[in-house]
Amino acid sequence: MKKYFKIVLIFTLLVNFGCNTDNFLDEQPRGRQQLDDFFSSEENSINFVNSIYQKINGESWWQVTMPRQINDMATDDNWSGNTLQPRPDITGIAAYNVFPGSTYFNSFWESHYIGITRANIALERIPEVAMDDALKARLLAEAKFLRAFFYFELVRSFGGVPIVTTYTELLEPAINDKVRASVEEVYVLIKDDLVKSIEDLPSKSSQASADLGRVTKGAAQSLLAKVYLTTEEWKLAKNLAFEVMNSGEYSLETDFANIYQTGHYNGSESIFEINYFTNLTFSEVGNGLPITNGSRGDQGWGWGSPTSDLENAFLSEGDNIRLQSTIIKHGEPVFGDPATTSFDGAPDENKSGRTNRKFYIPVDERPVPYQRGTIALPYIHIRLADVILMHAEAAYFDGDEAAALNSLKSIRDRVQLTTDMALSGEALRDAIWKERRLELALEHHRLFDLRRQKINGVPRIALLMGPNGSFVKYNTEISTDPFETTNLQESQDKGIFFDINTHLVWPIPPEEIQLSRGNITQNPGY
Amino acid sequence: MKHSILIVMSILFFGFSSAAQNVVKGTVKDEVNNPIPSVSILEKNTKNGTTTDFDGNFSITVAENAIIIFNYLGYKVKEVKYTGQKEISVALEPDVAQLDEIVVIGYGSVKRDKITSSISTVKGSELAKQVASNPAEALQGKAAGVQVLSAGGNPGASPQILIRGITSANGSTPLIVLDGVMLPSGTSLNFLNPADIENFQILKDASASAIYGSRAANGVVLITSKRGKEGKTKISVDITTGIQRLDKIEMADANEYMQVINQRRTNDGNPSLYDPSTIATDTDWWDETIEDFAPITNANVSVSGGSDKVKYSSSLSFFDQQSNYTKGWYQRVTGRFNFDFKLSDKLTISQDLSPRIERYENTPGLLYNLLRIDPLTEVYLPQSQRTGNIFSIYAPSNNLVPNPVGIVARQFNETMFFGMFTNTKLNYKITPDLTFTSQFGLNITSSRTDAFSPTYFTNPNQQREINTVFRNSSQRFDYVINNTINFTKTISDNHYMNFLGGILYDAQNSNYLNASRDGVPSDEDPLLRYIDAAVGERIVANSNESQRNIFSGIFRGIYSYDNKYTINGSVRADSSSIFPEENKTGVFSSISFSWDIDSEDWFKSETINNLRLKVGTGEVGNDNIPVTARFFQIGDGNFGFNGDRTVTNFLSAFGNTRLKWETVRDQNIGLDVAFWNNEFTVSVEAYKKTSEDLLFAVELPNYTGVPGRVWQNVGSFESQGIDLQLGYNKTVGNFDIGLNLTLSTNESKAVAFAPGNEQLLGQKREDLGNRFIKVTELGQTVGLFQGFQTLGIFQNQTEINSHSSEDGSIIQPNAQPGDVIFQDTNNDGSLTDEDMTTIGNPFADFYGGFNANIQYKKWYLSMQWYGTFGNDVFNYPSTFLNSGIQDVNIAKGTIDRVWTPQNTGAQYPRLTQQDRNGNYLRPSDLFIEDASYLRLRNIQVGYDFTLPGFQKCRVFLSGQNLLTLTNYPGFDPEVSGGGGVIDGFGVDYARNPVAKTFLLGLNLSL
Repeated sequence: MKKYFKIVLIFTLLVNFGCNTDNFLDEQPRGRQQLDDFFSSEENSINFVNSIYQKINGESWWQVTMPRQINDMATDDNWSGNTLQPRPDITGIAAYNVFPGSTYFNSFWESHYIGITRANIALERIPEVAMDDALKARLLAEAKFLRAFFYFELVRSFGGVPIVTTYTELLEPAINDKVRASVEEVYVLIKDDLVKSIEDLPSKSSQASADLGRVTKGAAQSLLAKVYLTTEEWKLAKNLAFEVMNSGEYSLETDFANIYQTGHYNGSESIFEINYFTNLTFSEVGNGLPITNGSRGDQGWGWGSPTSDLENAFLSEGDNIRLQSTIIKHGEPVFGDPATTSFDGAPDENKSGRTNRKFYIPVDERPVPYQRGTIALPYIHIRLADVILMHAEAAYFDGDEAAALNSLKSIRDRVQLTTDMALSGEALRDAIWKERRLELALEHHRLFDLRRQKINGVPRIALLMGPNGSFVKYNTEISTDPFETTNLQESQDKGIFFDINTHLVWPIPPEEIQLSRGNITQNPGY
Repeated sequence: MKHSILIVMSILFFGFSSAAQNVVKGTVKDEVNNPIPSVSILEKNTKNGTTTDFDGNFSITVAENAIIIFNYLGYKVKEVKYTGQKEISVALEPDVAQLDEIVVIGYGSVKRDKITSSISTVKGSELAKQVASNPAEALQGKAAGVQVLSAGGNPGASPQILIRGITSANGSTPLIVLDGVMLPSGTSLNFLNPADIENFQILKDASASAIYGSRAANGVVLITSKRGKEGKTKISVDITTGIQRLDKIEMADANEYMQVINQRRTNDGNPSLYDPSTIATDTDWWDETIEDFAPITNANVSVSGGSDKVKYSSSLSFFDQQSNYTKGWYQRVTGRFNFDFKLSDKLTISQDLSPRIERYENTPGLLYNLLRIDPLTEVYLPQSQRTGNIFSIYAPSNNLVPNPVGIVARQFNETMFFGMFTNTKLNYKITPDLTFTSQFGLNITSSRTDAFSPTYFTNPNQQREINTVFRNSSQRFDYVINNTINFTKTISDNHYMNFLGGILYDAQNSNYLNASRDGVPSDEDPLLRYIDAAVGERIVANSNESQRNIFSGIFRGIYSYDNKYTINGSVRADSSSIFPEENKTGVFSSISFSWDIDSEDWFKSETINNLRLKVGTGEVGNDNIPVTARFFQIGDGNFGFNGDRTVTNFLSAFGNTRLKWETVRDQNIGLDVAFWNNEFTVSVEAYKKTSEDLLFAVELPNYTGVPGRVWQNVGSFESQGIDLQLGYNKTVGNFDIGLNLTLSTNESKAVAFAPGNEQLLGQKREDLGNRFIKVTELGQTVGLFQGFQTLGIFQNQTEINSHSSEDGSIIQPNAQPGDVIFQDTNNDGSLTDEDMTTIGNPFADFYGGFNANIQYKKWYLSMQWYGTFGNDVFNYPSTFLNSGIQDVNIAKGTIDRVWTPQNTGAQYPRLTQQDRNGNYLRPSDLFIEDASYLRLRNIQVGYDFTLPGFQKCRVFLSGQNLLTLTNYPGFDPEVSGGGGVIDGFGVDYARNPVAKTFLLGLNLSL
């Protein structure tokens, strides 16, 4: 019996004292770095700032880039396009029958704020890191630029939005009680961030080749110019745009067709772009727009199909150079793609049988698999032509018609169009606006331009859309386009439901209203 | 208790036939040979009876071959056949099962009369009546307050067990304790062979479960497996086989589909899409995708026996279930080997081994696809249009819903799972009163999943250009070490005491490795579906591990006076690795009391033979959150600068360093009453549970930019309920009747919120505007449905114009006749999200089960009914079934159910593609349905027969889910009930419904 007792005793002692309970209870998660230990090196700081860049176009989240496409669909440049799959959260919005709960608005809102929080963490933690001071200043300036970019996207889309500028406030319960800041307050923040970032950002020419694609002083100046243009601070816009134009850092591509090319990174005209690349090992590092925007007859989803109205705008200027690099038409060869002699625009499924050439990938340049997130086509947010036209517009409204004309001319010269140097007054203004439409067509600028540009105080979008809008009238009464008038699965009267009291901003996502317990209020009319 | 009566009564009765009358005399004595007065003596199937006198003597006149029944409270009923004896002397045995049934209570066991808390017992023999892959399925409706909700009809699907509703916000699965070993949370009972189960004890209140402290917030299910008994070797064989069938969901045919799609357009003033006079194809996707019958088989062999030194019980079982799709099946082989070794009078060691192997292929979750795809699409592409491999023969649909037959054909996955559960227990009697127990339980599992996605091409938008092969490998290694000392003593006959102390370790480790690679050289050769064969550029590998540990100390004392008054108190301290340093330890205590009223001298009742009152209160804890919950973690990604990849790092998980234990505090009061010698039993209990510092993963406003959800202690829920259980057992003539009814109510309310958590949101639905349709607000029932209230359908423009605010502004200016009228709840003259309000309650008024067992000679019939009453379900599929939104197919008869100027009394609004009124784009009570149902879960008819050499033979036929009485218009009112209380509970999202099952079975015992 004693023998057994000893066995029991030994067993018990082993079991109870074999474990050290302090170690036993101190379990750290495996396989992940922790935030508080992370900001310890230069490399980690750079990596963290890189992740802010990821949010410019939504990372792997294709729904985040869709609102930019939807923005174009809600103008006179694009149809919703995909008539096989009429969706309330895309087609409805394009028609100004707006579904506030659209996943795309929701994702856009959420993703941009994730970017803002990444920037806020970087701005709060990087100053404590022991590293090269110049690099530190640059990284902080990059974070500031990107935060401004995110807020600018949000304020243009939704109007006044809640402002979060620090990371620490996220840790307090009061973070749940934020309300929407005014539009003006958001712009104050944006301008402040951009002005500060300009001080510490490098010029493009001074960047190491591995850093090309990171934001530059020129990018910050250009973005700030656009902000001033939006807030109608003409002189500031004009001067900043002029500074960029004369910085010697950028020049127009000689051939318009070179602007959008796979693998053509940070070209001479490019000021701020996403350097999408192909690497099948890592998902979603490439561009997805060639797929989502592509023809349903060509492995695309068909969202966004250029209008005959846009084509007519090119034709009225005799602008074939830009037309062939902007619009592909069903049954015709594709400019710059010798492999495609008769394009399948699937007019039964794509409203206009037309596709955006700027996001089209010639067949021989397509990766296998050819799918979202694999395509090495850069996405250009700001290029020099945009800045020159900003300058033209700002100069015009600042009363400097000569400067405006010169800028207009430099854009037209590239595509071998003559410029009437006698243009003045509203005719000059309209010419600049039209030039902006043709030059930047289908590059996702149009909606914000049309909301910003006003005639007698009325935003131009309101003149195009609504029951008496010129674009609606054109489609319902004038157009004889063989594709658009036969595929009626997307209604010809797109835009008829436009209401100026509601549709100058998009709705706040209902989810955010619920999550904020009603503190975040909806825009009127939604 | 009722079950033991059943067993007593299940003794086979014989018929009788007799004419002659005979006088029999005798004496009735107890087990120690003392005469028993007042024993009731009855000639079976007659009213002829008598009682014994003070000396236990009796005299009765009976017929030839009569059966004489001796019945006395507290003793087993005894039957003696009269075969001409002049004198019959009977010794009655105390009914241990009735009064002294041993109940496992956690780290020990006590006699039933010492139970002070709410514990339900379900015997393994009850489970044998139903063929289920998962023993939990058979628990439904058997114990009051216990709900077993089906997870749908997929083979191997694990049902959800709910004990007294849902108190916790983060999961609601009870803790499973098998033979004293706590299993990791979320463990599916799939691993257990129902035939191995001796019984279930369900600890419903905290005074019962507090001893399991840390993980008992959702109640505890104690499972005791069968052990060998001394004596002759017993062998039993059970074989059951049958088929399962799904009830067809009828969808519109081609003609109706065309009409609906056209009406969606013409109602908006747009041209039609289809010409119904030219129907080329009319595919019935249900028939194309769903098999008529799917087989199910279960076979089991058990052997048990032993000597006084060694006892054993072992079994081997095989289970096979096919899904009603052409893919999807589940196979399992389980073994159980339980050994008890008595090394000396003081030392016993038991060793249990239960290995299992599972193989399964996931059942496709295609209900959505096959309901939504249009009937105009052919299943296969015409021969002339086919290009590529055998996976490219499936036609793309007109409405872009992926072809479900193609999905099934292209699905390749198989999982092989191996698990070993061992339980080693050492029991040492230091003195006759003092016992030391040391237990080591080990759960090791290893599983691997292989999957393959072949290339295919059906059109440019539905294709896969490169195939991928995938492998997952995951392991678990969990152990518990329990060391306890137990002291039990009865002093001067009426002071019973039992003290327990112990130290426990619980560690859980899980890890995984996922890898995949593109570019296997062949799509069709299964021998090449390995990563080694792949040559593609894309290689992905992920691997990680998680570990959670708990260290606990427990103490419990039970004191009972005179078998009348029992008090039970326990304290448990748990330290969990989950929580930050300052909050690691939680202390949970309980106290409970029971009073055996019928044992009081003053209590005299002929009708009531058992009356017990139980009162208790206790606390349990909850740390069932991810191990990473308190950590701010860094994730990584990729971005390109100048065409080259760079690494990105970002905050991937937002932690909470202030997390602490969730504590569930409850109060329970219960009364057990038995009438007429247990013929009729009533058990009623009322309880209130309060969960404080409730743990929930909160979604912060998106403007915070916080990734994912954040675990927080969000506030308190309080749930109240009543559990009622009625049992009736009687022998009437040749009929043995056993009836059991359980009824329960349960509803949870939010009673407090932490700052910043003033409401909890759940179940965001994209199609309904990314709105949360379940909202929990202060003072309200948890997880109520929120949305817009509807007021019928606009019949004309006048009604639209008059639906206006006081200042005359039209509330729904975009509406047309036939659109839904929504209530402007806040009377502000416009319809906004502020008008959303409560539109339904997923909690049932009551739920319950009814079981009936009737035995007639060698035949028996058993039935199990289960139902819930008064609960609402958010019928999510009805957002498309009656609207054809995005041109999906609609339910058959939709064309007659939607509003048109001719059909103004229609139930559903007009068809419209634009839906400018948002009829189907916002949550509203249009989708709220009463999902009360009553379902015949199981009906079984059996027959016992004899074969030479066999002790017992039984053959039976049974049917499961054959009948469901409900007004719910969705597919399955039961399947729709699952999910967490804040999030999924009460939302129907078209999971595969439960199948009807027909079975034939055979049991043989040697």
